[in-house]
Amino acid sequence: MIASLGRLLILGSLLAATAGSLLGFAAGRTRSVDGLKWARRFAYLYCALIMLATVVMVVALLRHDFSVSYVAHVGSRSVPTWVTVVSLWSSLEGSILFWGFVLGGYIAIATFLTRGRYPEYQPDAIGVWLGCAAFFSFLIAGPANPFHTIPNPPLDGPGPNPLLQNHLLMAVHPPFLYLGYVGMTIPFGFACAALLKGRLGHSVLKPLRESLMLPWIFQSIAIMLGGWWAYEVLGWGGYWAWDPVENASLLPWLTATAALHSIMVVERKGILKGWTVTLIQATFLLVILGTFMTRSGVFNSVHSFTQSAIGPTILAFLGFALLFSIALLAFRIDKLETEGRIEGAASREAMFLVNNLLFVLLTFTVLIGTVFPLIVEAVKGKQMSVGRPYFDSMVVPIGAVLLFVLGIGPALPWGRATGEQIRKSLLPPLIGAVVLAALGYVVGVRNPWTLVTLAFGGYAAQVTLKEMFVPMRQRMRRGEPAGLAFVDGQLRRGRRRFASYIVHASAVVAIIAIAVSSSMRQTTELHFAKGQTQQASGYDITLTGIKEVQEPHRSSIISTFVIARNGKPVATLEPNMNQYQMMREPIGSPDVYTTLGGDLYISLSNVDLLNQTASIAVFASPLVVWIWISVIAMGLGALFGLIPSRRAVVSESTETLPEAAAETA
Amino acid sequence: MNRTVLIVGFIIAAALLGVLFLGLGKNPAEIRTPLIGKPAPAFALREVGTGQTIDLAQFKGKPVIINFWATWCGPCWEEHPVLVANARTLQPNVQFLGVVFQDTEEKILGFLQQRGSSYPTVVDQAGKTAIAYGIGGVPETYFVDANGIIRAKYSGPMSSDILQENLRKAMTP
Repeated sequence: MIASLGRLLILGSLLAATAGSLLGFAAGRTRSVDGLKWARRFAYLYCALIMLATVVMVVALLRHDFSVSYVAHVGSRSVPTWVTVVSLWSSLEGSILFWGFVLGGYIAIATFLTRGRYPEYQPDAIGVWLGCAAFFSFLIAGPANPFHTIPNPPLDGPGPNPLLQNHLLMAVHPPFLYLGYVGMTIPFGFACAALLKGRLGHSVLKPLRESLMLPWIFQSIAIMLGGWWAYEVLGWGGYWAWDPVENASLLPWLTATAALHSIMVVERKGILKGWTVTLIQATFLLVILGTFMTRSGVFNSVHSFTQSAIGPTILAFLGFALLFSIALLAFRIDKLETEGRIEGAASREAMFLVNNLLFVLLTFTVLIGTVFPLIVEAVKGKQMSVGRPYFDSMVVPIGAVLLFVLGIGPALPWGRATGEQIRKSLLPPLIGAVVLAALGYVVGVRNPWTLVTLAFGGYAAQVTLKEMFVPMRQRMRRGEPAGLAFVDGQLRRGRRRFASYIVHASAVVAIIAIAVSSSMRQTTELHFAKGQTQQASGYDITLTGIKEVQEPHRSSIISTFVIARNGKPVATLEPNMNQYQMMREPIGSPDVYTTLGGDLYISLSNVDLLNQTASIAVFASPLVVWIWISVIAMGLGALFGLIPSRRAVVSESTETLPEAAAETA
Repeated sequence: MNRTVLIVGFIIAAALLGVLFLGLGKNPAEIRTPLIGKPAPAFALREVGTGQTIDLAQFKGKPVIINFWATWCGPCWEEHPVLVANARTLQPNVQFLGVVFQDTEEKILGFLQQRGSSYPTVVDQAGKTAIAYGIGGVPETYFVDANGIIRAKYSGPMSSDILQENLRKAMTP
């Protein structure tokens, strides 16, 4: 009954999306006002139907209605309610339904916010959005149908994958990822519409930039949450393993970051138009590639859903989207007329270009490392994997250069600059570089790449902090009081500028924290008997006991360690080993003592309840917590910049520009 | 029309789609063991219940199915009836042998009494045999031919079809 209802809603959403998509494209050709109006109505209808279908599934999960195939597959009466809700995206079919849900939300909001504005672009954009929606509804209706009816429903189900039940972060990481991934459909629609029209006018840049920025924020947070989850749950003391699916989430983020920068060059100079739409299309295609990677069973990863038949369907969609994008680009890219040119190598726009090339280089590096095992297997028939050494040796240098560009880019003025200007802006931040690198050396940093990162980071930090408050300082020089100058120069008129420097400052902190925490990590392996105290990384660690706790869906062996520093107890850590009913191997959960300076992390490698002994790995990593903090700050900063301002963005930016140039002159 | 974009785009698209297409249908989780085609590592372990020592060498002359499992493993419960039923029909021409590790004898005995058994089960007390076979998780099943050579390996719960298919590899000379 409830399964049939869900299926009916999905079929309805498929019809609405298909009809709306065709209407949108038709309205784009004929410029029919009524056609566009109907395309919009179908967009809202699609949204309503897919959201209702999702609500039906959530109700089925909460009511433990095992006659619905998906509920029988992932539901369980013995798990907590939050796990039941999270089950919605814990397995293949549900995750695609959730995708549709998020897409419905995005399309409805984007359609609503752009109604009656961008008449040139909106019809085709709706056509593209609903075209993608139709594909996902087709997946849910056919190959990944979660609404099969089970004639003889079981009394209880197995519950979702235990790894997902192990930590609350798992309840937030996937939604953020979907909000990031799925949201990239919206700028893709605008980019395709611009290409179809053969024009990327100034008016469409604002929705293009904002619709890219919002999913970029979610994607940034999602990547961080994924790393944080891996750190808190997987027990090897790290947060990034270059796992194919981690890479899949990083790839579109890299091209989206590049596009966010190149859009600014389009805004200022009217150049890089074709390049920008290419980046936006690549972002969406990489999202679909990532979806294929997680759901086809082709890549080996902690994220892999079980092998399924939907791999070929997603691959077909990827192929179609790829060829559509290439054809569109090839036929229309020359029509996107260029209005200006890059005036000199030492200019801000040239640095934007270097930034873009580095991001694209990073994208290719990570992409090749990810698919290389498939190439080797296809050519030589051998299994292999590309590990950390490849990625680290490639990504660390490119990342360091990017950090360097992050420093000098904002220091240079737009357009042509004199040698005197360049010296004045580029030389002083060397102080920051030397100070931070020296400070690192004093506290014991010896890894050359980490020292380089600190130097570039110090340089970038000084530039960023100086540039960040330029509007406020100018106002104060004109005699405005500090408070008013701050509100007006930073929070109101200069909001977008201020926001982008907050993002830059956070990025500098994030890169430094990643470099230091990964290169300075200390690992100690210890064996304990109950009551014994041993030392590791400046802490005294005492095993006080080991106990077993039985829960309905798992049994846990919990060991308790008291951590002391200089004789004073500072924390109690309880790493544990969980055995889930449905798993082949026990899953360890580490425990972490976090301070602003660094983390102490204990992971159980072996535990003996009877003899009360435990073997542990102790990881001491400096600055880890700053990664999470800085990425959250990055997201909040970018979100702050998205708050609509009363004055048009364009006129505001031309206002601050000559002032900024005068400041550096 | 921009030919460069078209050509470069199609080359990238063809390469990417080709590689992904070839990857379809392969199971990356399947770890091909280097032991296939090599003699099965020898072991002599104590049988649960009787306390007698069972030596792998004593089964030479007929195919042996060695199943690594543990009572704390859910998928092992799932495959247990499949193994017991197949052993009833295939023995004595094929020998079944269960190897339990990271477990207590008491729990194993309780499990077997409750769920039945039709072949010997031995305890790998120190886990040395499991290490020699490169066990990544339980259940894992090895198929050894009459000459003591490993011919196939399967990770995960066994079904009758999978068992028959792998056993065929150990039956053909």
